[in-house]
Amino acid sequence: MDVPPKNKPQWKDIVTGKKTYELKFLAAKIFLGRAVRTVSADPSPANINDAINNLHALFEKNSAAPTVQTDLKTIFG
Amino acid sequence: MQQDILTSAEVAKFISEGKTLLLAGDEALLGQLPKGKWIGGTIPYFISPEQGGMVSKDKIFVTDISAMASKVEIQAYDQNQLGQVYCDGGESGFSFIIIPAMSEVHSTFAINAPNYKDFGARPLIGWISGVHLDDLGKISPKVVNGESGEVLEKAAIVMHVTLPPGKVIDVGIVNIFEQSAGDTLTFPDDGFSCTDVNVNGVKENFAAYIERNKLDTKLPLVADYYGALVNISFQNVDQNTGEVAFYAPVFSGVRYKHAKAVEDYASAFTTQLQKIGLSDESVVFSCNCILNYLYSGLEGKSTAPFVGPITFGEIAYQLLNQTLVYLQVYDS
Repeated sequence: MDVPPKNKPQWKDIVTGKKTYELKFLAAKIFLGRAVRTVSADPSPANINDAINNLHALFEKNSAAPTVQTDLKTIFG
Repeated sequence: MQQDILTSAEVAKFISEGKTLLLAGDEALLGQLPKGKWIGGTIPYFISPEQGGMVSKDKIFVTDISAMASKVEIQAYDQNQLGQVYCDGGESGFSFIIIPAMSEVHSTFAINAPNYKDFGARPLIGWISGVHLDDLGKISPKVVNGESGEVLEKAAIVMHVTLPPGKVIDVGIVNIFEQSAGDTLTFPDDGFSCTDVNVNGVKENFAAYIERNKLDTKLPLVADYYGALVNISFQNVDQNTGEVAFYAPVFSGVRYKHAKAVEDYASAFTTQLQKIGLSDESVVFSCNCILNYLYSGLEGKSTAPFVGPITFGEIAYQLLNQTLVYLQVYDS
């Protein structure tokens, strides 16, 4: 599965903590462990976009990994 | 042979055959090996395939990654260069890192890795080298660049590995510890030590809190990173100065809880393995923590399917404590 574009609402839902998914990709979990807190402390559009950009890049650069593919299906169906 | 414990003569033979190796062993043994496609770190503790947990200054633990390495680049990084580690190495691969314990580069990585440019852009796995516990303070942990023969104590050594077509990898962890239902602990600053802690939002001295609540400091603090449980192990509690030291840094803003007691490492480990459900054949490297080895009495015991060095810290993207990390390879 290709990594969906950044304008998909699920990306924003994840980094703002609006929706929580049970993910497998370790790097994403470590990143989100911090990013969700940072965004929740300052939910400015710039902070949200920054978090989305970083998370999207993380998935894109590791898109071949089995755990990333599993997580993409979990998030986007 | 993918992972085994061998004599230096056997390892030298593999090196001369051009194999790509990740090594762990005593400094004297690593220093005598021929140059080639390998990196290594010092440690005399291992989980071996035959004997389980063991201590040896006569053998080297070998992980042969030749079959999954179409190209490798070996590079040393000091603390000022390490921020580039996620940017180097190109696409379609992973990076394997070994850092000498108690060095500047160790503490720099521990505190800053999650903020490095392009964090997680390529998988990063590895370990913190150490020494026999009887040699603590007498000998410094080292890493070795097998390509140049350099033995380093103030730099990390990294092997950037390019995978052959059709192979993909994943990095995972096995952590037997879970958060207890107790107090939520936060810290005012990032660092390897602290005096103050906020207990459910109320500031107090952490050493006094530990004493009053009789916390078992063999059990780590545990943070929940979006479902990944990350431990911070206690190094020392000084009731005179009120200072508490850790083997990995606490981070401000992260909420920690003391770990639940673990009755038996083996059964807790098996439970975690069942939750993960990984296949033995896919694991190409793993390492486990010296504190798990000591506190859980792993000498002579197996942690199948995992074998490997017993380390002064584990790396799966960032520094971890009291955690087993592993690398899996799959056909895509």
